[in-house]
Amino acid sequence: MLPLEHLHLKHVLQTVGVLEAVILRSFGPEGGQVLFTRDTGQAMLSRSGTRILRALHLEHPLARMVVECVLKHSTVTGDGSKTFILLLASLLREIHTAASKEPHVSYSYNSLEAAEAATARHLADKLLAFALKELDDLIAMEVASHGCYISWEDFTVETHSPAHTNNHVQKLFASFFHMRLGYVHCAFISELTCELLNHWKCIGALPSFALQFLKDNFPALHTPVSGFPVTSSRLVEGQVIHRDFATPCPQTDHQPVKAVVFTGYLQPRLLNTGDVLEVGCGVTEERSIVHFSAWTERSLKCIIAHLQSLGISVLLSAVKQSAAVLALATQAEMCFVECVSEDELSLFAQLSGATPISDCWRIEPEHIAKLTFCRPILLGAHRYENMPVFSLIYKATHLPTKNYLGIIYTSNLQTLVTDAKPCSLIICGPGEGQTDQYACAFQDAISMLLTTWEPMPETGTTVAKRTVQSNKCTSSYTHNLTDSSTCTSSNLHSLHKCVLQPGCVIPAGGTFEFLLNHALLKLSHSCSASNDTNIGIPVSRLLASALLSVPKQIYSHSPGQFLQTRTRHNTTPIQSEVFRQDLGLESVSCKYQLLLAVLQCVTSLLRVDTVLHTHTALHTQSLADASWESTEDEAED
Amino acid sequence: MALNGDDEDFEWEPPSEAEMKVIQARRERQDKISKLMGDYLLKGYKMLGDCCDVCGTILLQDRQQKNYCVSCQELDSDIDKDNPALNAQAALSQVRERQLAAQSPVPSQTPELNGGPSSGQPSVSVPQPRPEHCEGAAAGGRALLPPPAVPPPPAEAVLTKLRWATTQLQGAASLEASIQLCSLITSCANSLRSLKELSQ
Repeated sequence: MLPLEHLHLKHVLQTVGVLEAVILRSFGPEGGQVLFTRDTGQAMLSRSGTRILRALHLEHPLARMVVECVLKHSTVTGDGSKTFILLLASLLREIHTAASKEPHVSYSYNSLEAAEAATARHLADKLLAFALKELDDLIAMEVASHGCYISWEDFTVETHSPAHTNNHVQKLFASFFHMRLGYVHCAFISELTCELLNHWKCIGALPSFALQFLKDNFPALHTPVSGFPVTSSRLVEGQVIHRDFATPCPQTDHQPVKAVVFTGYLQPRLLNTGDVLEVGCGVTEERSIVHFSAWTERSLKCIIAHLQSLGISVLLSAVKQSAAVLALATQAEMCFVECVSEDELSLFAQLSGATPISDCWRIEPEHIAKLTFCRPILLGAHRYENMPVFSLIYKATHLPTKNYLGIIYTSNLQTLVTDAKPCSLIICGPGEGQTDQYACAFQDAISMLLTTWEPMPETGTTVAKRTVQSNKCTSSYTHNLTDSSTCTSSNLHSLHKCVLQPGCVIPAGGTFEFLLNHALLKLSHSCSASNDTNIGIPVSRLLASALLSVPKQIYSHSPGQFLQTRTRHNTTPIQSEVFRQDLGLESVSCKYQLLLAVLQCVTSLLRVDTVLHTHTALHTQSLADASWESTEDEAED
Repeated sequence: MALNGDDEDFEWEPPSEAEMKVIQARRERQDKISKLMGDYLLKGYKMLGDCCDVCGTILLQDRQQKNYCVSCQELDSDIDKDNPALNAQAALSQVRERQLAAQSPVPSQTPELNGGPSSGQPSVSVPQPRPEHCEGAAAGGRALLPPPAVPPPPAEAVLTKLRWATTQLQGAASLEASIQLCSLITSCANSLRSLKELSQ
């Protein structure tokens, strides 16, 4: 019989409360950093929520579940991991308070705890249903109307002539990097990100295509270099391949350099381990192993000659080639790069339009890439400010250097728009950990922007709403709605024009939470006024009070400012003067996704009923497994 | 799960104000526990999947594989502080509760001419939601309601004892008796001072 442990609401609250206590001190613009140390003596400072949560030792299944939810959400939107935990904790507290005040008296339960748990579950389901049905319209009407929209055309303005619209994007990045990396370098990093996006913006018609491309290929598009100040970070033209030349690279003139990507071995493997080669058994001549190796060398020379005849001077290989191949390539003055990673090869293939090949005798024109030039870059060294147009010359000093291969493409991009100027990002940081953090921050910023520009997901209910509204049929519609939303049916006809357009941003600093709180309270008042048969607690009010925890924490150092800001948002509508303030911007789409993710996590957490402790063969201590058990059958009211 | 209630049907009532205060105090304690646990997690402790047998808090484990319960080993116990046998403060607060219970029917006695039967049972007529600040005191207060006899106010009793001790001291012959009487007077005076502070 496996040991069982029944979970109560208080366990859930305690677990999430502990996680909240962990991230609370790093939350907000005034939040601090966590110092991570290892037994090896390595130390690292970070404010990133995902990094902090990942570093915790957690064996409790609920805690691990919550952290997993946070990490998955962060992978998609790039931001909001600490806000996730904060909202989760405050929602659970509100649900617990509501459940202990008015548990469901229509069912009979064994104990007060079971009644509370059932009510909490019911409330969570109601909240999620409300959010999926009503929240996007509410946000579109009440929140997004106070924001502004950033468009992809903002990037077409040159960065050195700051136009007003371009500042919105920079402000969005600046507030993101301010929260993530601190105040000191956020302006520089956001400018660098805008520059990067400027270079890559023409890669596709839709902004989401370019951003998705950048997000997917980011590992291949950036080079972390530690030991330098952050302000040394820059963009370099072309793609940087993180491998040194295996053969000396001769100086090339300005004709297009031809390159081929090999996925296999150039020297054919004639003998495998365990094979026996019999020599000297021919009838006509005496043969020995020397003749055999000479023969293999001759065949290799033919391969190299064939490549030379095609004009190929750069070879990129996914595998390590034999010494004979390298020696012959050096003789033939061909550049060879071995063991290139798959990401970089696929990026190279996408940008140059050349497909990789495994058999060198079957090279067709579509396998040959044409490059502008190809030369080594020394990174990890002090550089001299000597930058003519296309040459990148750096002087090496005592610091350990890494020799990289830099490649620039011509505009021979078949699949992509020809105005794209491919460039690579060099990210510098004082230590390895810090550099890694900056790289993650860049990637998350791109994810965040991608989420901002994604159109809102059309759920089944929103599609149904639109078709019903177009038919102007209200009677069947009101029958399908639940109690909490019947009062909004009259408002929805005017709402169908207010769809949340992609690219909406509002001022940061809790504005989204204040506005949504105000809107939800208005909704709950109008609901209770118009619909007296509304049993139970209005979920909009629950959500409204839970939302306030975020700005309360942001302004925790000055409660007076919290009240001031709240009053200002409630009484005066936000005009454009708010944008002139130095508040920074945040994306409405990201916030909406965050809310939905939190509500789904709450629903999942409250459905956990029992923990089964299981023993595995490897671990002698018992490990806990969370079991999902639905409780007693809930009959319809 | 039977809905018709032929099993032990749990009759649920809304929590009273006293119980809401208990819930609030408990929540504050839980917040304190969460904060402490968060600090320990950041120090490198591991959060286990088990709970403490005594208090039900989630257990932590340090680097030396030793289990640690934050609420048992660090915070004071939730209910020990309300046990009059263990805590003097709880004892004094219980005395005050009884004093309040005794005093509340006193104003009603004087205007009422036939307040005899009602004054005989002042403890029963005390309304339920008294300002109890902890569950232990509430339970103690409810469980230990005095019998119908009206107890004298505590200050009166102490004063009487003080006067008796003083008169006894005047006539005391032996050294031992005098010393004991002096100590009794001292403790009576201390009790009076505490009662005065409580009543303020």
